[in-house]
Amino acid sequence: MAGAGGGSNDVQWCFSQVKGAIDDDVAEADIISTVEFNHSGELLATGDKGGRVVIFQQEIEKSQPQCRSEYNVYSTFQSHEPEFDYLKSLEIEEKINKIRWLPQKNAAQFLLSTNDKTIKLWKISERDKRPEGYNLKEEDGRYIDPNTVTALRVPVFRPMDLMVEASPRRVFANAHTYHINSISINSDHETYLSADDLRINLWHQEITDRSFNIVDIKPANMEELTEVITAAEFHPHQCNTFVYSSSKGTIRLCDMRASALCDTHSKLFEEPEDPSNRSFFSEIISSISDVKFSHNGRYMMIRDYLSVKIWDLNMENRPVETYQVHEYLRSKLCSLYENDCIFDKFECCWNGNDSVVMTGSYNNFFRMFDRGQRRDVTLEASREGSKPQQVLKPRKVCADGKRKKDEISVDSLDFNKKILHTAWHPQDNIIAVATTNNLYIFQDKVN
Amino acid sequence: MVGRGVKRKLSDCEDQMLDLPYPQQRQLVLDLCLDKLQSCQRRAEPSLHRSVLLANTLRQIQREMRQEGGPHPESSPPAPATPRHSPDLPPVPSDRPSTPVAALSSSLLCDDAQSTCTELPKGPGSEDGGKSPDLMFGSFEITNSTSYLTDLQLDDIFEDIDTSMYDPSDFSVLACPPPRGSSGASLGNDYNLKAFSTCTTSSSTLQMCLNDLDHIMEILVRS
Repeated sequence: MAGAGGGSNDVQWCFSQVKGAIDDDVAEADIISTVEFNHSGELLATGDKGGRVVIFQQEIEKSQPQCRSEYNVYSTFQSHEPEFDYLKSLEIEEKINKIRWLPQKNAAQFLLSTNDKTIKLWKISERDKRPEGYNLKEEDGRYIDPNTVTALRVPVFRPMDLMVEASPRRVFANAHTYHINSISINSDHETYLSADDLRINLWHQEITDRSFNIVDIKPANMEELTEVITAAEFHPHQCNTFVYSSSKGTIRLCDMRASALCDTHSKLFEEPEDPSNRSFFSEIISSISDVKFSHNGRYMMIRDYLSVKIWDLNMENRPVETYQVHEYLRSKLCSLYENDCIFDKFECCWNGNDSVVMTGSYNNFFRMFDRGQRRDVTLEASREGSKPQQVLKPRKVCADGKRKKDEISVDSLDFNKKILHTAWHPQDNIIAVATTNNLYIFQDKVN
Repeated sequence: MVGRGVKRKLSDCEDQMLDLPYPQQRQLVLDLCLDKLQSCQRRAEPSLHRSVLLANTLRQIQREMRQEGGPHPESSPPAPATPRHSPDLPPVPSDRPSTPVAALSSSLLCDDAQSTCTELPKGPGSEDGGKSPDLMFGSFEITNSTSYLTDLQLDDIFEDIDTSMYDPSDFSVLACPPPRGSSGASLGNDYNLKAFSTCTTSSSTLQMCLNDLDHIMEILVRS
């Protein structure tokens, strides 16, 4: 069975693992809100609505004929707690909106996690040795009376069971009035940006008590507000360049060398509207929910409600590629507006060599688009397909009434089961797909 | 949205939509828009992004309706004109808007740490410079007076009510405001309206609920 390929061979996606409760009754706190591989792919972090971060570590089983790898829990910690804003009588959710890994510099791992208001830098370090043989302390910690000590010894490090500790190293607070939707680490390895609905701030990773405001689109009169920032990201190689997307479907590229406040863009990426598709909901579905640079820095991908579009940074008037994620929903927009699904924010991601892109949909479906081979596939993350190494069967949604065998009609789709967050291993064909409260890991069959 | 494995399906909104002529489709979307804007306030996590998208949709529809010419009494939104929009009344507290417009303004302002009660606009009727904010609808612009309810011909309100289940003699007593001190039902105007609240159309029910809310707000603000 062919899947979307990432090279000359067809990739066959197989079930590898699923994490999370099997129960259909989803606890609100367990809803996964972000998924991110680190730069080597060895670690996979998830954040949830309850403010927790769970990190999985890859363990490669070399004993098998094929190198299977498994992700097992490495560390779990409470990143954010709910807060209450007494001034506005509003609760600040502890939900983790984004996690971004810092490039590794030493033995420890660092990541930034953010909720609506506060960004935190976490250090995750391993401890596998401990000192033993204190002169004044027993092994259980009780103090020894110095008068009873007759000989001295030098404490030595002895191996212990691996302990993974997560500690908050920096808290970047009080810089955002509106809800933070993005964080992005700069290629200079020193700074990062955080974006909320109306502003983008630039931080130094070491300095928590101040940040520079680099974009501000708040109008003087809030009643004139018609557009908000929906996502922002630094260019992977050019430390002076970043992009931000808006609720009107535009992307602006800014150069921080041009001025301190980047309210004026260097480039504006905007596609003219297709008049034949105009409806009451045109603007809502054009709102961009995610923007991601390709690894090579030449392209950027955006996700709006119905499509994924790839832009060449050198061409501002239209995208170079457009992929329909679930075009069959276009005629159902009124219902989706009524049940609020039209406001769902889907993310998207690139594979390691930028040849395939992936995004989620409803009914626990997710889609992959092979740019080179011009093929796409729809797969499903479900418990039914979850026998070890079971190859995923491509799915098809039937838009009209003539449903073929194995096809699913649009009206049977479950809109409660949405895949908003997906991640692709930076080098290998390993993907992490988050359903509401479960994390699925799929791998390429052939290795 | 904690599910018990219950599938959420597409509603039959789509079927309704397709059967309707364009103005009614537009009205349906407009009604949904207003509902959502109001519920924005009640949500635990108000979203500026969502509010802005809803407001833009609302504006677009309103612009279209305006371009089609003039005020449209039968197609104007069910949102009520309320006494709160009179310029000399105190501003609505920012966290409890009583109308969709105020709801929109405060939802846009609610996340702003600098926003206070005084920043909130007093109401569309009081905007300066002849500016007609796109947020307003025709019905809001009309209502500058506190006597909106009494100015209306009561017969107009009751036109479309199905009165078949009522005794015609009772109806005639209630429909006509009794002169002061007359025998029989010495009911105030408010009571007349409230008595019929259960048999009005949904848009009037919305109007009633919002009127109730305004009434409560008035009491709270004055106390």
